[in-house]
Amino acid sequence: MSTATGSPRAVPAQAPLRPVVLRAAADAVPVIAAYVPFGLTLGATLAASGISPLVAWSSSPLLFGGAAQLLAVQLLGAGANVAVVVLGALVVNSRMLLYSASLAQHADGWSRRARWAGAYLLADPVYALALGRFTRPDGGGDARTRLAYYLGVGSTLWTAWMGVTAAGALLAGVLPDGLRLDVAAPLTFLLLVLPMLTSRPAWAAAATGGAVAVAASGLPLGLGLLVGSAAGIAAGALVGRRHG
Amino acid sequence: MGELLVLVAIGVGTYLMRAAFLATAGARPPAAVGRLLRHVGPAVLAAIALPALVAPQGRVALDATVPALLAAAVAGVAWKFTRSLPLALFGGLVVAWATTWLLT
Repeated sequence: MSTATGSPRAVPAQAPLRPVVLRAAADAVPVIAAYVPFGLTLGATLAASGISPLVAWSSSPLLFGGAAQLLAVQLLGAGANVAVVVLGALVVNSRMLLYSASLAQHADGWSRRARWAGAYLLADPVYALALGRFTRPDGGGDARTRLAYYLGVGSTLWTAWMGVTAAGALLAGVLPDGLRLDVAAPLTFLLLVLPMLTSRPAWAAAATGGAVAVAASGLPLGLGLLVGSAAGIAAGALVGRRHG
Repeated sequence: MGELLVLVAIGVGTYLMRAAFLATAGARPPAAVGRLLRHVGPAVLAAIALPALVAPQGRVALDATVPALLAAAVAGVAWKFTRSLPLALFGGLVVAWATTWLLT
């Protein structure tokens, strides 16, 4: 950074990171609010799953991703085959490969350690917030600023997720059914999909994936999800070949 | 104990997928894989969301399905016009509460 001295675009070599981290935390607040209903439902589901509540909650720090947590704990509680549980959860999380490849393009100048640490925090809302900032015209600042923002968003959302899912587990059985918190989880996923529907292949993947998963929802233990996902990916690839 | 091991296995696998391209500076997925990866997000998330909206808690019923689908429609429209995640989500939830209350 010190080599920038004298260049016309020189910024103070060690621009304060505090405002960046505060900005990151502030940006995370509305997202946290939106994740509270889903987090509470998930926590309650974890506690009611039939496996030890503490073990079930440990999926929060271990997986840090609600969709896979929900699937894994429900399947474990239903006594599903271990291979099916692991495979299903990993398929649900395979979109992290996409996030990883996409975020890597904005991680130039991050140290190895920062990259390995940052990978742990890579979840849907963290990715969405970070990309929103990194794809601005100014690229979200220099490498140091971008890293501070990313880690700020990630650690804020991580902390909130640990707390909200724990609260849901403690409140299990107290939350009234009339709140329709069961709708919160699919609504959250729906709102994650909508921003991705920017092209014909994306629409094809989502429509096919959803429709096939509905048709196959009678299949035992999470297999409908796997079938739907595979069909959706195939449909996206097929339409993508025709429309680019 | 067995359950914890399963969760650890999923956690390790997930972490490796998160690190796959981020931690290995400069690595890019092979072109063929990259083309498929693009469709993973919409396909998987829709495959999770839709069945749960059509059959909340695993059952298709007037008082379960109608509120969920109405909530989804309202959330979608709210998101389209405001691009606000919390607004769309709570808008949808309020509709789910209201229709559930009306139908029961």
